[in-house]
Amino acid sequence: MPELDVLYNLIPKMLPFESMEMKFMQQALVGLLLLAPMVALMGVQVVNFRMAFFADAISHSAFTGVALGLILSVSPHWTMPAFGVIVGLTIVASQRRSALSTDTVIGVFFSGVVAFGLAVVSRDKGAARNIQQFLYGDILTIGNNDIWAMIALLSVLVFFQVYGYNRLLYIGLNPVVAKVHGVRVAAYQYIYAGLLSLVVIFSVRAVGVLLVTAMLIVPAAAARNFARSSGGMVWWALLVSTTSAIIGLLISAQDWARTATGATVILVAFAWFLVSSGVNFIRGEERA
Amino acid sequence: MTDVRSTNRAAVAFENVTVSLGGNTILENISASVPEGSCTAIVGPNGAGKTTLLLALLGEVSSSGRIRISHTDQGQDLRIGYIPQRLHFDRGMPLTVLEFMVMGWQRRPLWFGIRRKHRKRALDLLASVKMDGLKKRRLGALSGGELQRVLLALALGQEPNLLVLDEPASGVDFQGGQIFCELLEKLRHEQGFTQLMVSHDLPTVTHHATHVICLNRQVVAEGTPREVLTSETLCKIFGLHMGLVDSGALHIGTKNCSSTCCTKGDTDA
Repeated sequence: MPELDVLYNLIPKMLPFESMEMKFMQQALVGLLLLAPMVALMGVQVVNFRMAFFADAISHSAFTGVALGLILSVSPHWTMPAFGVIVGLTIVASQRRSALSTDTVIGVFFSGVVAFGLAVVSRDKGAARNIQQFLYGDILTIGNNDIWAMIALLSVLVFFQVYGYNRLLYIGLNPVVAKVHGVRVAAYQYIYAGLLSLVVIFSVRAVGVLLVTAMLIVPAAAARNFARSSGGMVWWALLVSTTSAIIGLLISAQDWARTATGATVILVAFAWFLVSSGVNFIRGEERA
Repeated sequence: MTDVRSTNRAAVAFENVTVSLGGNTILENISASVPEGSCTAIVGPNGAGKTTLLLALLGEVSSSGRIRISHTDQGQDLRIGYIPQRLHFDRGMPLTVLEFMVMGWQRRPLWFGIRRKHRKRALDLLASVKMDGLKKRRLGALSGGELQRVLLALALGQEPNLLVLDEPASGVDFQGGQIFCELLEKLRHEQGFTQLMVSHDLPTVTHHATHVICLNRQVVAEGTPREVLTSETLCKIFGLHMGLVDSGALHIGTKNCSSTCCTKGDTDA
């Protein structure tokens, strides 16, 4: 396997901060820089097509993923993404067949998944430590295997978004029109849900289940305020999420801050959102 | 008087089509046809199953019986363009009219820009529906009538042989509806597509349709507007008030409704 150290060694040269001398900080930064474009790209669709609740349900399925790992004695590294994808695809399949509204379908899965996780964890007191990590996330303990997995996921995701962005937009606006006009709606919906599930699960490891939806939504929501076109929104989301990741990690490592990394990243993104709202407000005034 | 059905083959033929949803029969034994090159209107009261019949045609609801869609002269499947009743979307979303058009056929993602040839095609189509002036406008900022015309342009981008419209005039003000129906008439004559629309707006139907299918869970009547839109049939499907349309005044190919677009049509007839 090629060495990631080359990548890590570049970091102190580009970001000459004392904190960046440490290997775990370098790994954390690489992890966040891989995650940022993924959440930005997927977040644009999550925001435009109101899929925040879907992302929330998947993030909570990570909880059951951990529990399943405990039962089956398999590393949660495997059970979390596997279970997340299964839940994501099942929700899409049910939505496509059921007469129930989308949020009801997701809500039903959401509660089932969380209840199962709680039931298992309540039997096993030793699981509490895993749960802590699951709630708040810990990007600082990310390892090389995780980084490789994220590199693979980012490659697949970028390919999918470059190939399918316009089609996804079409489906999001009206799936029937898209289908009649020759778009393979079902295939895109399943692949998108599968990839989104994986991104959510990796984000749970970075920022914890409480903030995972924020990771997807806040950069995209800020981008929506800044952008005047659909193409522009993607670039703004990339800018906001990447800068938030870098600045958030650096601040969290400062002696005066010493805050949880995930939460700090989200706070920076939130600051971006406030600025974007201001910009949007001023533009509105100009138009008026 | 010419019978459209005898001179044209059917673009779409419904044969004993039945649709049941959740134990309720929405459509029962529908047999009807859409003559090629016609402007066929499906009329009926609310809950008659008009939209369901369209969705069955588009493969969105499962049905028993057969729906036969004819082929082009080259033996290919008919290309279908579809205009929904409403586009439910987040109106605050940043998406320009031009991006919306190009999304239909450009593979390269919009964030890498729009290719010149796609831009030109989109602008030509927008010009054909008189919307080229609003190419930079946000989709969410368009009025109902403008959005309807952009949806028409998007559907025309499919170069359809069959254009399917669900309640084209709903949610559009009088003037918007008038511009839209004039445009459709003109484009249908220029491009020669078959038009199949659902409508409960009888003036629109009497003015534009060449073939009418009256539906109320079953086919109540089918034929030319003159044959079908009799006070007897209308009373049967809509109830008492529909004696307003005087079918004796209808002539095939002539325009006879109160809107100004019809008055204009009279001069062509």
